[in-house]
Amino acid sequence: MIISLIGTALNSRLTDGIFKEKLNTSLADARDTTQSVDIQLTIAQYQSAAVTKKMVSDIFQVPPTVGDQSGREVALFPIQTAGGSEPNYQGISNLLSPTSIPAAFRAKVRTGKAQMWQRTNLDYLNGRHIPGIVVGNIVRIPTVGNYEFYVLFSLSEQRQTFALISQTLWVAGIALILMVGLISLLVIRQITSPIRQAAQIAERLSDGDLDQRMQVSGENEISRLGIAFNEMAVALKQQISRLENLSRLQQRFVSDVSHELRTPLTTLRMAAQVIYSARTKFEPTVARSAELLFAQIERFEALLSDLLEVSRFDAEAATLELDEVDLTALVYRTVDYVHPSQERIITIHAPDRPVIVAADSRRIERVLRNLITNAIDHREESGVDIYLAENENAVAVAVRDYGVGFAPRDSQRLFERFWRADPSRARVRGGTGLGLSIAMEDAKLHQGRLEAWGALGRGSQFVLTLPKRAGVEISTPPIDVIPSEEARPIM
Amino acid sequence: MTLIMVVEDDHDLAEMLGIVLNDAGYEVDLVNRGDDALEVFRAQNPDLILMDVMLPGVDGVELVRQIRQESMVPIIMTTARGETADKLAGLEAGADDYLVKSQYQEPELLARIKVQLRRRPAPSAEPLALGPILIDQVAHTINRDGKVIPLTRLEFDLLVALAKDPGRVFTREALLSEVWGYQHAADTRLVNVHIQRLRAKIEYDPENPDLIVTVRGIGYKAGQN
Repeated sequence: MIISLIGTALNSRLTDGIFKEKLNTSLADARDTTQSVDIQLTIAQYQSAAVTKKMVSDIFQVPPTVGDQSGREVALFPIQTAGGSEPNYQGISNLLSPTSIPAAFRAKVRTGKAQMWQRTNLDYLNGRHIPGIVVGNIVRIPTVGNYEFYVLFSLSEQRQTFALISQTLWVAGIALILMVGLISLLVIRQITSPIRQAAQIAERLSDGDLDQRMQVSGENEISRLGIAFNEMAVALKQQISRLENLSRLQQRFVSDVSHELRTPLTTLRMAAQVIYSARTKFEPTVARSAELLFAQIERFEALLSDLLEVSRFDAEAATLELDEVDLTALVYRTVDYVHPSQERIITIHAPDRPVIVAADSRRIERVLRNLITNAIDHREESGVDIYLAENENAVAVAVRDYGVGFAPRDSQRLFERFWRADPSRARVRGGTGLGLSIAMEDAKLHQGRLEAWGALGRGSQFVLTLPKRAGVEISTPPIDVIPSEEARPIM
Repeated sequence: MTLIMVVEDDHDLAEMLGIVLNDAGYEVDLVNRGDDALEVFRAQNPDLILMDVMLPGVDGVELVRQIRQESMVPIIMTTARGETADKLAGLEAGADDYLVKSQYQEPELLARIKVQLRRRPAPSAEPLALGPILIDQVAHTINRDGKVIPLTRLEFDLLVALAKDPGRVFTREALLSEVWGYQHAADTRLVNVHIQRLRAKIEYDPENPDLIVTVRGIGYKAGQN
């Protein structure tokens, strides 16, 4: 932009200079020529007609030949003559057309006193047009009369020079622009490429690849950025691996302890079973103790299994074994398992066909078993409804009871480990306190959801929503977590 | 008298298992080390082996492999680690069933043992066939193209169950109940592993089975041949 402005200014200054130079020489030349023509014509009137004619024609011979580009032409027109018989000096050199001299200019010259000039085109009869200058004068010859005398100078050479300059300027300008562009590109790259690299590496670091480092070279602000960046990455890696080690150790410990507990617990369990089976032979207090021993060992085992499962989730060692599962059959089977008695308190509302979902049947069965057991525990004589529904990309199972329920604010917290609705209330029921949090982990492992709705005294509803295929987004859940009869119209 | 060999390195648990199994009417041979087990097995020729996976000397999975090379005796593994990989390793080596320590109660242990030892109902003398496989239910052998293929009792039962009812699709749960005798089986992977083992033995191309076909989302059935 600036370059082109400078170029244009330079261009016009140069052309102005060249033109002025030419104009000055042209004006001087024209003055000389006019004077010599004046003298010649003054002399001519005293000569014989033939000599006069020769002299006049000589005037028009003065300019060099046609086509000379630096050449000049002359033109002579009478304004008024003293007598009709006097030789009528008139003519134009070479093949110049009289239209080369604009009529308006001629009028100005005729009325003016001094030498005048104007830019014009030199039109030749052979069709050539050359830009030029016309300089006009009045030649007064005492007895013969007044004549207009014009000297025309071609500017073609100047135009060529001008074109050359202009061309040079353009080439230089474009070259300059390209060079400046290239240089700034290089400079920008020098600065931005480390920044871009930093951004890329930061992305990779946050993706977990902690071994990424920036390349540092030189000793400028950019390399200082690189060094600081790399120091940060090292510190980050150390901190993360320290935490990872700690958590791995801790998880490993929990897992090892649990496994070490299993062998003695197996012995304990079998021994308790033997004692329990023989309880009728004992005194009542011993018999009752045998029952308690047996029951508590069972509970201990459940707790250990759940702890192990939780430690597996914490260690991210839990893996999905996806299979095509008929959820309808799974729901019926789980209900049969959890509540085989004849007293039908559970009503299943499921489509009369298989509902196929890609899932880990062992985990889903565990979730369902947990939800159904919870519902039976908290139903308080009410029935339990189980709903199964599907839509395009998701399936859902809802377990609804109409018993004690829970405060709405607890709907998130009850998935926490060992959470209790009322800590002061003694735990009557068994259960490990880990069931719902394991169920939640199982749901998450499937990229599904487990949600709870509850109201004190009006029961609760738990909804498990699973994507039909792994990785499918659940847009609208087939079953809303708030039971339809409890949903209030939105104000 | 039915003889059960118990391979368990924890002395107390081994003793407890001895008590429980004796009470149930079995004769018991206790072995504490994996590297002693093969010798005792050869000398005593037990009817069933109940063994731990983690054993000093030779570990359980390797022991199963060694025993399977010379015998199709029913093997039940017990493991203190409930991880899927641990369970599958034993099954793939040739065990018929597994129990996670402390997760089973005495009745369940006895039930599993009984299933493995059960006297099958008098087999029909009718020869059964599945494609090129000829099943002799009396001699308890199968052969393909004139060659006898050794199968464990459980594999044999699984094959017979499928071959007897060629049109029927068996769910994994149904197979667990019919072949293993479980009513509420938790782990259908037991079926998957045994089907794979069976395929590896009888199919021409175990990768593309046509004798035992998977029915997606449901289970398995005998191939149409």
